[in-house]
Amino acid sequence: MPDQLINLTIDGAPVSVPPGTLVIEAAKQAGVLVPHYCYHPGLQVAGVCRMCLVEIEQAPKLQIACATTVTEGMVVKTQGPAAKSARQSVLEFLLINHPLDCPICDQAGECELQDFVFQEGRQGTRYGEYAKRFNPVEDFGPDVLYVPNRCILCTRCVRFMEDVAQEPVLNVSERGDRAFIGIHPEARLDHPWAGNVVDLCPVGSLLSKDFLHKARAWELDKTASICTGCSQGCNISLDTRDEVVVRVRPRPNLDVNRYFICDHGRMHYRWMNRGDRIEAPLIRRDGELQATDWDEAFDRVVGILRGAAEGRKAVALVSPGASSEALAEAKRLLSGYSWTGAFQVVMGEEAPLAGVPNLALRAERAPNATGAESLGYTRDYAAAIAAAKTAAVVLVLDDPDCAVETDGALLYLGTVLGSDAPCRRADVVLPIANVAEEEGTFVNRDGREQRYYQAKPAPGMAQPAAWVLGQLVDAMGLAGATR
Amino acid sequence: MTVLEDYLPIFTGKTLEELHTILARYPNKQAALLPTLWIAQRERGWISDRTMAEVAEVLGVTPAYVKGVVTFYTMYHQHPVGKNFVQVCTTSPCNIRGAEGVVKAFLEQTGAGDAGATSQDGKWTIVEVECLGACGFATPVLVNDDFLENVTPEKVPEIVKKYR
Amino acid sequence: MGFPHKPHPKETVVLSQYFGDADARTYKGWTKRGGYQALAQALKTDPVAVTDIVKESGLRGRGGAGFPTGLKWSFMPKEKKKAHYLCVNADESEPGTFKDREIMRWTPHALLEGTAIAAHAIRAEVVYIYIRGEFTEPWTIMEQALAEANAAGVFGTIKVYLHRGAGAYICGEETALMNSIEGKRGNPRIKPPFPAAAGLFGLPTTINNVETLAAVPHIITRGAAWYKSLCLSNPKSTGTKLFSVCGHVQRPGNYEVTLGFPLKDLIYDMCGGPPAGRTLKACIPGGSSVPILTREETEACLLDYEGVVERGSMLGSGGVIVFDDSADMVYQIMRLAKFYAHESCAQCTQCREGTAWTTKILERILAGQGKPKDLDLLLDLAENMTGKTICVLSDSCAAPVVSGIKKFRGEFEAYLAGKRQVVMV
Repeated sequence: MPDQLINLTIDGAPVSVPPGTLVIEAAKQAGVLVPHYCYHPGLQVAGVCRMCLVEIEQAPKLQIACATTVTEGMVVKTQGPAAKSARQSVLEFLLINHPLDCPICDQAGECELQDFVFQEGRQGTRYGEYAKRFNPVEDFGPDVLYVPNRCILCTRCVRFMEDVAQEPVLNVSERGDRAFIGIHPEARLDHPWAGNVVDLCPVGSLLSKDFLHKARAWELDKTASICTGCSQGCNISLDTRDEVVVRVRPRPNLDVNRYFICDHGRMHYRWMNRGDRIEAPLIRRDGELQATDWDEAFDRVVGILRGAAEGRKAVALVSPGASSEALAEAKRLLSGYSWTGAFQVVMGEEAPLAGVPNLALRAERAPNATGAESLGYTRDYAAAIAAAKTAAVVLVLDDPDCAVETDGALLYLGTVLGSDAPCRRADVVLPIANVAEEEGTFVNRDGREQRYYQAKPAPGMAQPAAWVLGQLVDAMGLAGATR
Repeated sequence: MTVLEDYLPIFTGKTLEELHTILARYPNKQAALLPTLWIAQRERGWISDRTMAEVAEVLGVTPAYVKGVVTFYTMYHQHPVGKNFVQVCTTSPCNIRGAEGVVKAFLEQTGAGDAGATSQDGKWTIVEVECLGACGFATPVLVNDDFLENVTPEKVPEIVKKYR
Repeated sequence: MGFPHKPHPKETVVLSQYFGDADARTYKGWTKRGGYQALAQALKTDPVAVTDIVKESGLRGRGGAGFPTGLKWSFMPKEKKKAHYLCVNADESEPGTFKDREIMRWTPHALLEGTAIAAHAIRAEVVYIYIRGEFTEPWTIMEQALAEANAAGVFGTIKVYLHRGAGAYICGEETALMNSIEGKRGNPRIKPPFPAAAGLFGLPTTINNVETLAAVPHIITRGAAWYKSLCLSNPKSTGTKLFSVCGHVQRPGNYEVTLGFPLKDLIYDMCGGPPAGRTLKACIPGGSSVPILTREETEACLLDYEGVVERGSMLGSGGVIVFDDSADMVYQIMRLAKFYAHESCAQCTQCREGTAWTTKILERILAGQGKPKDLDLLLDLAENMTGKTICVLSDSCAAPVVSGIKKFRGEFEAYLAGKRQVVMV
């Protein structure tokens, strides 16, 4: 029997939530965002910023919504004069030392201080005659800069490192208005998940060196995607500016990565912007690969496939980063052959996020190994390479360093073609989109199917691999084939 | 020019035994942090970053955590101080009994210059502190661990002479 | 009495009977003076009954909050499922207050006896006595007394430890005190949870002030009715209190009077009033965190919890700070704001920034650069700093500012008009 829901009223709107829900969370159900800084659903409650003060009927004083649990019949008002005035005063206090850095601050446009001051702050400052507190910028570690002047001491970063990463390398140092976020000289902020403090920081105090001064928040388009760094399948947002991926940020998913991504995934995007892409289909003519159009390229492939005798071998060497759709079509395309499909996965060290169950940078550094396996591809890559030698058709999907040699036909679908890549000996090279340029599905290590979306256009004539292979399947009349 | 010396651990031998006695008083090691820092300061006169790292290791916490605690409590010195560390209360109850004059007298008599700075001869650091809890005995002054009461500017030369 | 003064005839000597008597510090000396009989009696009494006696007596927390002690003890879980803790708050740092140090350095065994009784009443297995780091003499004396008490088996199986603070006024706040014992920064905690439910190390905890506990043995031996009868005004304020009188008086010190005693008599009769030729201008009756009283209010004030509230202030810790006409109220209020700014733990925005900003405005007024709107600004900041934070340090900074501007506005305006200047060293 499920728990009875608690009924309360927030800004006149009736809300029903499970017992134990915080007022600030219940408010979301009423469509009310209670302004706050230190509160974060992924962190333990601190109650220090005092920004979320609200009026609760029958309570003698204003209460912080982030630390108050709902009770039956509670009446909460967030827009009354007392609460608004209290929040306005908090903003004023925060701004007395916070520098007017917006023109040079990365956070501008996605800054919670800007947002709430604009919404509820005072028009001008009453602190005009005094100097603001000044401390120089500090380098905390591989990617994180700390700008003490902008810090509002919400302590999200300290709590993240202490409770979620479980490596307390950040502290609050000193007392009173001299306080700042400190680090011990013998320890750097180099935890594999440390980059999350930059996301958590509501203002531009903790900054990513990688993103420093690269783009303005309002110039960014944000697209939902799935991280390709490993098999965890963290939900991310690809932020693009002028169709270049400039930043990766986590998207909340309570079942996979909660609110976080690891630094490996965070930095794993530059390859999406490579300029040395294959931009047109290439077919071998007079011993050389020459650019052509899709129609001719498809004709050539169909010719190769039909030309190979029935019952002979085909080998598919695929990337475990290819979409499930592409992998399925690739298999379908070769359904007339005795088929071997394999992939190899780069392995690395696992790095768990201790405070979250089942969340880690996984040893398998690929997003769709599980998807590939479920479609029948194996990890016996060496065997597949051996079989390729005598195969009639070898299809290489998005594996540019694939060191394959074959007596048969070599079809290569990829994004890049290295100058001495074995795939240069392919008969046909078909340009495909990378993960940022297409829509598709990955299956993570837990068997969860997740969709990613297109963040930028593919260069030249490149198309999603699923489309390319789908066209070929149609041309071969294999649309109904299953294996 | 600074010469990097090898750091000699504090918590060895008898001091380590003392630490174990203290650890027995708390259900976890972290809780022994304040008393452990007192021992460290007693032994070395101040608490350096390196000492913080040693304390962290001994108690199973991080150096950053220790630093956060050290910087919170004003009685832990984060840099070396003079042989005589003098704390003079100047909060209002003592202030209206002339406490600031006592500070001034100490600064002049010891040659310490500014409050917080150490005198040239390394013997004195004078600081103004908040209420020492002896307001009826204004002005109270702590010279290292000696709690002096009813100090006036006139009594300062005597005190300085005694401790010099 | 105000040590080293002799007891004044108008004092009601209970806690301070042996102040100045070095022999009373020893276990032998204390038992000779009737000590530890209350404990023997209490140990034969059911813990709940002991709590009821203390409830009946009307004893209220003497650290500043004035919360009924017996009631606080009764908040501990009825069913004993986990270990219980008792913390003794000897962090005395409220400006104007210096009574707990006297109790510890003259009658340490009184404190230990009260502690033992309290530990019995709340069924505590472990006691931490948190002594502020600057109290070097009380520390040494308490160490010695505790060793003697343990040798004599005073605490039975209860473990009692001294824990030394390291310079933080805020650690006198009960939840910050617990964090400090846990080896953390002395940050106050948000409530709920309350200490009796989840306190030290997450276990049920009671925190009591030194003076509160020192009164307990007397209540046990002489009875709740006796303690209740010690009442000069409001029946909700019973017993005696040590008032620490300091500032501009001829005979500063601790004076023990029955609650309800006139503040006027305390200042003039017992302490001799301000020095010759000077007149009383202002008085803070309960430690610097309570509103300032004018001379008229002071002279009409009765020293009990309700009586002081009637005059517009609070009994607080009973630290009576007296200002005569030579005092610069603006400067002293600045100095108090500076105190709070220095002691703010930095968690809450209003306190962290507000205490410093308040200090800056006052410093500027004192430097002759103040503007008339500064007073309104100070009052507005004070309102924003009141009732909105985890603990009341922020409110405590606001109290002298608000009462100071209200009652001594002339002194502020003199600075604003350029008629007065302090040279800020």
